[in-house]
Amino acid sequence: MEFWSEYLSSLLMGFLTTSELVAISAPLGIILGIALGASRVYGGIILGSFARGFSALFRGFPLIVTLFLVFFGLPEIGIYLPPVTSAILSFSLCSGAYISEYVRGAIMSIDQGQSLAAKAIGMTKLQEVLYIILPQAIRRAIYGISNEIVYMIQYSSLAFAIGVQEMYSVARTYNSLYFKSLEIFSLLAVIYLVLTALTTLFFKGLIRKLEIPSKAE
Amino acid sequence: MIVLRAEDVWKRYDDTIVLRGVSLNLKKGETKVIMGPSGAGKTTFLKCLNLLVKPDKGRIWIDGEEITSPKADITRLRQKIGFVFQELNLFHHLTAIGNVMIGLTKVKGMSKSDALKKAKETLKRVHIEEELWRKYPAQLSGGQKQRVAIARALAMDPIVMLYDEPTSALDPGLSSEVLLVIKELSERGITSLIVTHELGFAYEVADEIVVMNRGRIIGGGSPEELRNAKNDEVRNLLNKWNGLKDGVLV
Repeated sequence: MEFWSEYLSSLLMGFLTTSELVAISAPLGIILGIALGASRVYGGIILGSFARGFSALFRGFPLIVTLFLVFFGLPEIGIYLPPVTSAILSFSLCSGAYISEYVRGAIMSIDQGQSLAAKAIGMTKLQEVLYIILPQAIRRAIYGISNEIVYMIQYSSLAFAIGVQEMYSVARTYNSLYFKSLEIFSLLAVIYLVLTALTTLFFKGLIRKLEIPSKAE
Repeated sequence: MIVLRAEDVWKRYDDTIVLRGVSLNLKKGETKVIMGPSGAGKTTFLKCLNLLVKPDKGRIWIDGEEITSPKADITRLRQKIGFVFQELNLFHHLTAIGNVMIGLTKVKGMSKSDALKKAKETLKRVHIEEELWRKYPAQLSGGQKQRVAIARALAMDPIVMLYDEPTSALDPGLSSEVLLVIKELSERGITSLIVTHELGFAYEVADEIVVMNRGRIIGGGSPEELRNAKNDEVRNLLNKWNGLKDGVLV
């Protein structure tokens, strides 16, 4: 009983840390992804190249490398970030790079007529992108974005490697103390499953809310 | 008073010269119709007028200001030109009333309540019933969509309306409701330049019909003058359209 009481209370703390990581990294990653995706299409040579380079870079090596670079590498140039901040920064950069791909693809799929019609009523390029193209593109990209956020819940466990006391880290510690692997990781798996299911449900609701009616009602 | 003037407009796509020095004037309150076979350059010319397509050569003035000037404020000048596309380019994510309001709020900077009032008035003007105002484009028929597109352009208070084959994407049954709206607007003195294949409609609504072929204006005149056109090329084209014989409706 003592094990379960201790484990559950520690796991709750870990759960809160995992939730904090995802709740902050997800919106940052989405905003970054939208900005990068739009820059890749509309950013011209300089901004477009930067966005392409950024996306290629952060999709080009494993997240754990980004985590180590941010947490262990940056202090060598005088930038010290706490573990949770390092993890949030790494997750945001990584998910931003992947989400930018979904957003770019979605923007490219919007038919040219929408852009022409926006121009024809006197919209500037920025107005056209903000009010006409992105609202439609984000609706198309949201399926990919929701998938990316579900992945983020899974890969948030990598934060243990830089000392963040999230759920997986707590489970790992308890396993090394009590060797009750089946109980410890089964419960952890259930919690991840619930988190994933709740996130999926949230996005399903959001998709329903944003859906553009397509047939006569 | 001339509100729209195009002078010697040229446009080339790769090796194909689409416009070969097209010039045209449009007077306030006038309705001019451009006709011509597919590939004549009608749509390209119309899109050149508000720089949706940039001409390679030539100058265009709208309300006395040259839109082709490098110093032109193109987005401001475009607001003076209402453009209705053949492809029913309504904004898919906005309702009918949202489509009309977005230009008013975001481009003209009107308050939401003023824009809503104006959008409602304009939708009524093109005979879009109130129960359709909150429908999305995909929930509207082709004719309804095109009338909303006309309202979207009209709400911006343009000094000229350009229609690019506004009925070509519609079933014949739906064309008439759109043509009726364009005719009504034209009769109320809205300056209009219409590209259409509907010869009967052109005869009915136009003050002047301009005939284009292979990137050039090859003839034109009032509907009466066109019925008795002497130019062989113009007569041959007219004969091909809408079951005409010798340029006269049969």
